[in-house]
Amino acid sequence: MSENMGLAPPRNPPIKLTRKKVRAGFKKRVIELSGQPVDACYQCGNCSSGCPLAQEMSILPNRIIRLVQLGQKDDIIHNDTIWICASCFQCTVRCPKGIDIQAVMDTLRQIALEEGVDHFGPDQIDPEHAAEVPQPGLVGVYRKLST
Amino acid sequence: MKRIGVFVCHCGINIAETVDVKRVAEEVLKMPGVVYTQDYIYMCSDPGQALVRKKIKEEKLDAVIIAACSPNLHESTFRAAAEEAGLNPWQCEIANIREQCSWIHSNRKKATEKAIKIVGTIVEKSRLNESLEPIPVLIKKKALVIGGGIAGIQSALDIADSGYKVILVEKESSIGGHMAQLSETFPTLDCSQCILTPKMVAAGKHQNIELMTYSEIEEVSGYVGNFNVKIRRKAPFVDWDKCTGCGLCMEKCPAKVPSVFDRELTTHGAIYVPFPQAVPNKPVIDKDSCIYFKTGKCRLCEKVCEINAIDFEQEDRFVEEEIGAIIVATGYDTLPIVDLAEYGAGDIPDVIDGLAFERLLSASGPTVGEVKRPSDGMVPKEVVFVQCAGSRDPERYRPYCSKICCMYTTKHALLYKHRVHDGQPYIFYIDIRTGGKGYEEFYHNAEEEEGIIYLRGKVAKIFRDGDKTVVWGTDTLTGRNVEIEADLVVLATAVIPTDSTAELVKKLRIQTGPNGFLAEAHPKLRPVESINSGFFLAGAAQGPKDIPETVAQASAAACKVISLFSRDHLEQDPAIAWVDEDLCNGCQTCVPVCPYDAREYDEEKNIVIVNEALCEGCGSCVAACPSGATQMRNLSDSQIKSMITASLGGK
Amino acid sequence: MAKVAYYPGCALKERSSHLDRSARDATVKLGFELDELDTWTCCGAVPPVSKERIMNLIAPSRILKNVRDSGSDVLITICDFCYNTLKRTNYSIRTDEIIRKRINTFLADDTPEREYLEKDNSQWVDYKGEVKVIHLMEYLRDELGYKQITENLKRSLKGLKLAPYYGCVMLRPQNEIQLDDPENPSIIEDFISALDAQPVKYPYRTECCGSYLSISSPDASTRLCYRILNSAINKGADAIVVSCPLCFYNLDSRQKAIAEAYQDFKPIPIFYFTQLLSVALGVEYGRQGFEKHYVDVTPILDKIGTSSGKGDEE
Ligand SMILES: Cc1cc2nc3c(=O)[nH]c(=O)nc-3n(C[C@H](O)[C@H](O)[C@H](O)COP(=O)(O)OP(=O)(O)OC[C@H]3O[C@@H](n4cnc5c(N)ncnc54)[C@H](O)[C@@H]3O)c2cc1C
Ligand code: SF4
Ligand code: SF4
Ligand code: SF4
Ligand code: SF4
Repeated sequence: MSENMGLAPPRNPPIKLTRKKVRAGFKKRVIELSGQPVDACYQCGNCSSGCPLAQEMSILPNRIIRLVQLGQKDDIIHNDTIWICASCFQCTVRCPKGIDIQAVMDTLRQIALEEGVDHFGPDQIDPEHAAEVPQPGLVGVYRKLST
Repeated sequence: MKRIGVFVCHCGINIAETVDVKRVAEEVLKMPGVVYTQDYIYMCSDPGQALVRKKIKEEKLDAVIIAACSPNLHESTFRAAAEEAGLNPWQCEIANIREQCSWIHSNRKKATEKAIKIVGTIVEKSRLNESLEPIPVLIKKKALVIGGGIAGIQSALDIADSGYKVILVEKESSIGGHMAQLSETFPTLDCSQCILTPKMVAAGKHQNIELMTYSEIEEVSGYVGNFNVKIRRKAPFVDWDKCTGCGLCMEKCPAKVPSVFDRELTTHGAIYVPFPQAVPNKPVIDKDSCIYFKTGKCRLCEKVCEINAIDFEQEDRFVEEEIGAIIVATGYDTLPIVDLAEYGAGDIPDVIDGLAFERLLSASGPTVGEVKRPSDGMVPKEVVFVQCAGSRDPERYRPYCSKICCMYTTKHALLYKHRVHDGQPYIFYIDIRTGGKGYEEFYHNAEEEEGIIYLRGKVAKIFRDGDKTVVWGTDTLTGRNVEIEADLVVLATAVIPTDSTAELVKKLRIQTGPNGFLAEAHPKLRPVESINSGFFLAGAAQGPKDIPETVAQASAAACKVISLFSRDHLEQDPAIAWVDEDLCNGCQTCVPVCPYDAREYDEEKNIVIVNEALCEGCGSCVAACPSGATQMRNLSDSQIKSMITASLGGK
Repeated sequence: MAKVAYYPGCALKERSSHLDRSARDATVKLGFELDELDTWTCCGAVPPVSKERIMNLIAPSRILKNVRDSGSDVLITICDFCYNTLKRTNYSIRTDEIIRKRINTFLADDTPEREYLEKDNSQWVDYKGEVKVIHLMEYLRDELGYKQITENLKRSLKGLKLAPYYGCVMLRPQNEIQLDDPENPSIIEDFISALDAQPVKYPYRTECCGSYLSISSPDASTRLCYRILNSAINKGADAIVVSCPLCFYNLDSRQKAIAEAYQDFKPIPIFYFTQLLSVALGVEYGRQGFEKHYVDVTPILDKIGTSSGKGDEE
């Protein structure tokens, strides 16, 4: 098939699965960095059911884990979910398979930041607000959401 | 006149909610012959039965009627209670006011009226009931097991070990069934051969087991304890008594026949044993493939056989056996890939089924346990497993869950990973069903440790593109379609009943369920027996089953047979047909109407007699007899007439 | 007076100084002193996720090593973020040998340490997680005993209905923190009971307030805080008790935005547990920094009476 130059990509192309995709590259890196056995996730959805920020996310946490299992980096790092997660560990303490989802979220933020998806910079905060918020909030937000 | 007692059961609220049981008791007490009535919340309970026993004695009752649920449930319970209190069991009758009244009506007044009439009918019957004695029937203490898979082998061994004789009939030349084809078995991954072959050998050597392989059931007549079975011993064209199993003939045979045992991944000669560990380890000539039988020339095997065991003149033989009980253990087949058009209809060489994959994994298989794909022998690196291929598809294929595929597919992916470390297995599934001891753990381990990718969705289409096999599936968990260019695709095809089972049940006159598997007498309480007495069920012939369940059922069926054989004789219900010899004129109208072959013409007396062991008391002959010579015990014409009158409310 | 090593952390030094002050006042009343470390740095507020980011562990590790070297085996913190970061860093050092080695290599590289090393090599001792990181509330419960509090009450909080708010990092992740049952904790409830007030249980007490999202996604945080506060109010709470500066900030100052967004909302005062403790032990109201609160606390203070017979210091 010749390379298509003019048309926009289809809205929902199939995922083409290969050995490489589900064992190497992005997925492998997530597993190594987070130390989490993401393949153990059996998609029970408990992490999403109890996530206090679920209502703010366009993809729920369990599906983020699922996308990691299938090596879908772009679907994850260009999505708002990893930036909305507040690292509250609610999911982590409840996962029946012992997966620290929060750690996976942290890893995904780190990878996204490495890829240049800088989500939140000092310029985005209003100075009045910055003068009030206790330091852990400021340090936390910069550590988690920006390079 | 008889003194009749009537006991009306509330059945909790099952009856009492719709039927005014107190009123039934009151009204029935007014009927002729009824001297005592009583209602009670649960008649079948211990105190309920005690009440019946007590009143039989106190009120000097000659007959009792229990107005309660269907006689199927508790007739035997109450007859036993009556007998304990000194009554003849046939003086105890059940009036069904639950299934035939309270459960199907809502108008309390009308339902109560109907209940009174139902009891009234039974009162009429009861008044004319005679005391009967059960008919003793001798038992032939020899069992027949049909099917030599793990189910049949286990049943045969259990019965034989308890000291009874068993004939084990297997249609193939060796016992072993599908389990012999398997590589390693979930959930423990024991090598299948290693746990099966010792049992095969034990069955082959057991002094109480007579192996009849390469044999089929030709005809069955008789009844529980006394079956006559005719068995066809197919001609193997080899004298098994002489044959030493040296295998020279098989080496020399020039014919090439696809091996059924190896799922056609290899061929063998026209003279063959299906697999090296066969029991008995004796070859047979497949007449349809043999060059000599087709062209009249060859006979190579005969030339090489040093002891002259080849015998082209052999013919099928028939043996007849007297048998007390029969276990049916004829196993299963799998849906042929040809039936699955969207998965390539069998035209794609690298789309195979689970049993073929077992052969590829097996150390004694065509590739000696190396996984190589059929088309070009390449070691596949991307392998897609498709579950529910033909199962759980009521519209197009089979409606039921094949039960074993979830587990064996995970096993396949796992064993594949053990053999091809850099390979990637993908499993498409609808649900993962792992309800067995250690099964969920087995699945979790596969998912966590082996990197198997489970994709939740059913594969829609599989097609060939160059040397790749393209699989179109979906993953409902991400909401994304998935496409995989696979090197090999393994279909978990539906478990189906075997064709030969369908033929066999006709000969045995036992039932199958809607999906063609053998029907059990009760799905919960009598799961290992057929509704026809004397027949027991074991293994996958009754429904998809894995080995642990198969073996459990096989031992249970054996137990039933052993318990039957532990009695001296059977007791046959005497409430069956009898012939008034003075009235019968020998017209024989009744003979063909009897569905149980229980009517026999006695030439000497020119009358028809009843084979009491065969008669099931269905009444067809009574209706057919033009001279009124045939009657049912305790259901005589006069009883029926007065019952009808009573049911219409007459006196 | 007994002294216990104390790490205040950045927030308590400045923006949440009322938390620090009330804690110091209260502990003195209870007979021990929070002994602030001589030198300390920011702990980093959140532990790093991956072993790759070992640098993020250096600051908290150095703090912990200094505590050990100064001869203490217990370190008290109050801010939930500091507590979480220090405790989890310590956990990594205790349980992961590779991390332990790498951290100690870094720590030994620090200039003063190197001099130290050059002088006498045998003096260097790897930090192996010897210090026990302990939350002030945990100290009160386990080391001092809540009974001590009850016995020393000077003001009565009887009748006050107080709703504990745990938030996230005080309890989670459970396997590393081990402070209380993460789904059904009781440490703050028991504390409230020790003050003679009435604890109010409500379903949202362990739900996240939005944490640092307050900065990046303020609306999300507003919605979360509203759910939490409303849940406590519906269960009849007069005020809410917290221990974390960020929780305090979100639950207190977000009430402005909440009131704008939700018509039915009625404000509810937020207290640091140390403020209530300090007040109950008789410290004057003027030292509590109530002026830093967004929501007026006077209606609650008005309900606080003096304990029978024990007298009021004010
Ligand atoms: C791909 C695959 C993998 C599997 N893996 C596992 C596993 O890992 N672990 C596990 O527990 N289970 C496994 N199973 C299931 C296992 O094969 C069955 O549970 C078991 O074989 C059932 O035994 P059976 O004796 O009832 O039937 P069968 O093995 O089918 O035996 C029936 C026997 O009866 C004979 N027969 C049929 N009709 C007649 C007739 N009319 N007259 C005389 N003889 C007749 C047949 O020739 C056969 O020898 C697997 C199944 C498949 C398809
Ligand atoms: S709770 Fe754990 S197992 Fe369940 S979906 Fe979330 S990550 Fe997967
Ligand atoms: S850590 Fe993130 S994903 Fe997990 S429950 Fe909290 S906000 Fe949701
Ligand atoms: S006669 Fe038949 S079985 Fe014998 S060698 Fe020839 S083809 Fe084979
Ligand atoms: S066992 Fe699993 S794969 Fe097989 S039919 Fe049932 S659900 Fe489908």
